[in-house]
Amino acid sequence: MVARVWSLMRFLIKGSVAGGAVYLVYDQELLGPSDKSQAALQKAGEVVPPAMYQFSQYVCQQTGLQIPQFFLPISFSQLPAPPKIYFPIRDSWNAGIMTVMSALSVAPSKAREYSKEGWEYVKARTK
Amino acid sequence: MSESELGRKWDRCLADAVVKIGTGFGLGIVFSLTFFKRRMWPLAFGSGMGLGMAYSNCQHDFQAPYLLHGKYEQEQ
Repeated sequence: MVARVWSLMRFLIKGSVAGGAVYLVYDQELLGPSDKSQAALQKAGEVVPPAMYQFSQYVCQQTGLQIPQFFLPISFSQLPAPPKIYFPIRDSWNAGIMTVMSALSVAPSKAREYSKEGWEYVKARTK
Repeated sequence: MSESELGRKWDRCLADAVVKIGTGFGLGIVFSLTFFKRRMWPLAFGSGMGLGMAYSNCQHDFQAPYLLHGKYEQEQ
């Protein structure tokens, strides 16, 4: 009897956890149109770093591991600003493409120049 | 389609792919831990579903300006 109740409780807990996850995905429209996903990612980028920073500061305060100015009262307004995550994909992709193409275009002349220098060096060493 | 608009579409596609693959992976983890005895296939299934949905969205996004929308009217 107890085992049956316990297995039923376990099933209900697992079902509620899985159902909650599915509901969260449905509510935040994470599997919906691409503009909603982009907005959700942007919102996560704004919310997560300050939350992690405040949590780490809370842990430091509770455990006493790393207090920067313990002779002054610590408040959140005195703490440095949390890092902002901003990765401009378009700019870095374009810059990467231009760097790769310019490297490919100068590669033959550079290879000729380096091989000529290497040959001169070897000739000078063997004299 | 101008280059800036194309770049915006690519950014949206990549962000969408990251969110959908992550969501599928997360749901796969939840279902693997709760119902499927820590097997690996729900993770692969969820990630694959997310990737496919992101690909479909991207494809529709890039093809959207070139699709013609018509309306069928019945003759009276």
